[in-house]
Amino acid sequence: MAEDARRLLTQRLETDPDSVERDLFKLVLTIIELVRQLMEAQALRRVEEGDLTDDQVEALGLGLSRLEEAMEDLKSRYDLTTEDLNIDLGPLGTLLSEP
Amino acid sequence: MTESQPEHGRYLFAFARGLDPARLAGVLGLRGAPLEVVEHRDLQAVVCSVDLEEFGEDRLKEHLEDMEWLEEVARTHHDVVYAVSEVGAVAPMRLVTICSDDASVRGRVETLHTQLSEALSRVEGRREWSVKVYATRPAQPETVDAGRPASGAAYLQRKREQAAQRRSTGDQHLREADEIHQTLARSVVATRVLQPQDPRLTGRADTMILNGAYLVPTGETDGFRAVVSRLAELNPTLEIELNGPWPPYSFATLE
Amino acid sequence: MSEIQSSVGGQLSVRDASQISLVDLLDRLLGTGVVLAGDVLISLAGVDLVQIRLHALITTVRADMPVPRNLQGGGTDG
Repeated sequence: MAEDARRLLTQRLETDPDSVERDLFKLVLTIIELVRQLMEAQALRRVEEGDLTDDQVEALGLGLSRLEEAMEDLKSRYDLTTEDLNIDLGPLGTLLSEP
Repeated sequence: MTESQPEHGRYLFAFARGLDPARLAGVLGLRGAPLEVVEHRDLQAVVCSVDLEEFGEDRLKEHLEDMEWLEEVARTHHDVVYAVSEVGAVAPMRLVTICSDDASVRGRVETLHTQLSEALSRVEGRREWSVKVYATRPAQPETVDAGRPASGAAYLQRKREQAAQRRSTGDQHLREADEIHQTLARSVVATRVLQPQDPRLTGRADTMILNGAYLVPTGETDGFRAVVSRLAELNPTLEIELNGPWPPYSFATLE
Repeated sequence: MSEIQSSVGGQLSVRDASQISLVDLLDRLLGTGVVLAGDVLISLAGVDLVQIRLHALITTVRADMPVPRNLQGGGTDG
């Protein structure tokens, strides 16, 4: 019974023919943003662990910096803020709520 | 009406001691079923009959995923536990515990007798208060106003600094929360620190840094309020939220 | 019934006499408390269609984690 508590709040994304396109787009952007932030957090961890070469660090930083720009661009094109993307993703979603 | 039919079970709300069932008159159980008190030794179990069509294992799993159903049952459960707590010491049961019949209810009381007796003594004349503390989330650092980073390494360096800033703010919050909790702990008989609640469940954008439950003797309620009030004065940048009084869920609910 | 007080700028005041919130209730009445499962169920026109299990979909890789077999270089089953 207690285990079911965790399953409880699967978020339902209710959509309809008029809004399905935008809703799905928001969902996809949210997942991309989630992956991007996870990548960044992991990269920082690896950098701090100190086992990367200078070239690797530079390449990681450059790639992530471009990703961030691309994300800002996508968000502004569809007039979405980080808050808009913040659909409920449970514990994983806490990454999206950080500044 | 002590034996239930096979399609019915006994939903267990809570346990009590020295409870006069007449004091629960007018309080309904689930789906309008009357509350009943099952006696065993010096303890009592507060129950009602439920339809196993709805509360039996098969349908239960589905229902537990249905927020509307869950809310209805949880609130009725709380209303009953609250009513019992107004009359005397109560050891609440967790949500949806069903026994097949009264013999089974008595069997459970027998098995849990020692723990129940201790739990009831622990909360006799005491009530639970919730104190939550919120910190304003720091303003989002602008991602692009610093301009394009000079290099990949510079970008990562900026990100590291932002992460360090977040960590340091986090540490500060932990210290503040701990200080507040320790002050409260000194003025109550028992405490329990709960997980901070997910912002998406509370609907609040700010960060919950403390979610504490405090057991306060009824006669000391005003004193407790004064301590919380004083803490609010000492911490003007934090929001302190006091909630209660509630039945002693965090102090007498058996696993 | 129960009260709820909160402080703004250091002053504790009664906000409203309110019932216990569902989150608080479920935190206490359920064994493990309440968390969001990290899944999204997509529903179109009231019909549930697709569920995305994010925990299964996305995990981070640690340097000390063994690399899954199919990602290792070389081998005859490439």
